[in-house]
Amino acid sequence: MRFRDYIKDHALIITVYAASLIVIEIFLKAFGTNVQAMGVVAAVFILMAFVVHIYDLRRRKRFYDVLETSVKELDKKYLLPEVLDEAHFLDGKILSDTLQDCGKSMTENVTSEKRKMQSFREYIELWVHEIKLPVSALNLMCHNNKEIDPKMKVQLKRIDDYIDNVLYYARSENAEKDYIIKETPLNRAFSAAAGKNREELQLLNATIKASNLDVSVMTDGKWLEFIIGQLLDNTIKYRDEEKALEIRVSTKKENGKTELIYEDNGTGILKEDLPRIFEKSFTGSNGRETQKSTGMGLYIVKNLCDRLGHTIRAESEKGKYTRFTITFADNDYYCR
Amino acid sequence: MNTILIIEDDIALREELNTLLTNSGYNVKMITEFIDVTEQMKKISTDLVLLDITLPNENGEAILQQYRKSSDTPVIMLTSRTGDMDEVLSISYGADDYITKPYNPTILLLRISAILKRTAKTVKALSYRDVKVSVAKGSLTREDKEQILTKNEMLIFRHLLDHVGEIVSRDDLMTVLWDNDEFLNDNALSVNISRLRGKLEDLGLTDAIETRKKQGYILR
Repeated sequence: MRFRDYIKDHALIITVYAASLIVIEIFLKAFGTNVQAMGVVAAVFILMAFVVHIYDLRRRKRFYDVLETSVKELDKKYLLPEVLDEAHFLDGKILSDTLQDCGKSMTENVTSEKRKMQSFREYIELWVHEIKLPVSALNLMCHNNKEIDPKMKVQLKRIDDYIDNVLYYARSENAEKDYIIKETPLNRAFSAAAGKNREELQLLNATIKASNLDVSVMTDGKWLEFIIGQLLDNTIKYRDEEKALEIRVSTKKENGKTELIYEDNGTGILKEDLPRIFEKSFTGSNGRETQKSTGMGLYIVKNLCDRLGHTIRAESEKGKYTRFTITFADNDYYCR
Repeated sequence: MNTILIIEDDIALREELNTLLTNSGYNVKMITEFIDVTEQMKKISTDLVLLDITLPNENGEAILQQYRKSSDTPVIMLTSRTGDMDEVLSISYGADDYITKPYNPTILLLRISAILKRTAKTVKALSYRDVKVSVAKGSLTREDKEQILTKNEMLIFRHLLDHVGEIVSRDDLMTVLWDNDEFLNDNALSVNISRLRGKLEDLGLTDAIETRKKQGYILR
């Protein structure tokens, strides 16, 4: 709050003061009061007005300066009512009371939405567990009844994949901790994920070269299995029909941290798309070409990695390869 | 013949499991009333239990905990929950294995036979006709001739041997290999089988592995 703005804001009052003073002086003149007395009256009048308004300006300035800087500096602006000093003038009090009320109502609103989200998420989890039962039964039926077309199994696998996508999307968006970080052998997670995609990989006659997977990392086994499953899924989706599909998986120790390197020889990703592939709903040119992309897979993967404390990065050259590197924090990080 | 007890409340799933296990040569028993499951379990003599985690009235993990107080029969937990938390909990309560739905039937059978082999009271030496099979050394010995098998060849040979006289599909062999971190493709499987055949022939066993077109292989 600047002095100049304050004066501008009080232009009307100042005009009234000036007019009153002129009227008083005219009256005094008319009653024949001497010039000294008129001067004293004018001086007292102006001084009083000055003192009152300086006082008023100061208390307002104190309040509104805090308000303005707080709004600028707070990254969570809705906390504003919490940082405000008490106002010692009427409209300031009204303002801060109103802010408090708004804040309270907002908090209630957010809490109720959070509760709704939570119950929705719980329902999704429940639903996923329920729908897995008929999927399992169908899976067994396909196996028990040799006359059933094996193509049905591939479709069942797709259904199961989509179900997992929903489950892990719900999990990755949830703020609560619902994973366990423990020592997990990488080869177990990889072979579980690869085993699920075996039929399709075999139909494509894919070559998988796995090396150095005989290490353990600190992660959640199920989440990691899903992450690797998504990478395999992308490899299958964005394969280069001209080449024999090849997947290389290996690990490397880098500054005491274990890195899982996953590479395929698929269509690759355009350079301009590469920085955005982990964004939600980003499909890029590959997605547009195949029409199979939802832009969710890698977004969920990134989200899960962030929550587990892993980092994931992608490198690619169009028409040559795509390589994902997942870095796991070293074991000490969790032990400490 | 080994007996397996199925505790699963989803009827369709229970019946399919029954078919799967019966077809694979197991004697199957089932619990169909889910009241006092632990008491019922104690009365049934079985070699292995397949226990669902989400049962009506009771929780499979609690049942397992109770059951473990009086029995050390192997238990495989089946679940549609997909959290590591449940797995850790089940294993700490004494489960021998933990499989999430929808499971691959071949892998389920593999896990069952692995656990049954581990707990079998009599350890019989592995042999095929007059060939001694040493899994540890990875070798086959007949009279004074010895053949060293690679890991893949041994996995294939053992699976055929477990199902001697039955048709084993290529798909089943692939499942076994992939489950053991050997990610072979179709060509590689054919190569491995013909190498295995060659090694068996060197031991004097010609036509030990027979090919059934579009069905798979039989170890004679």
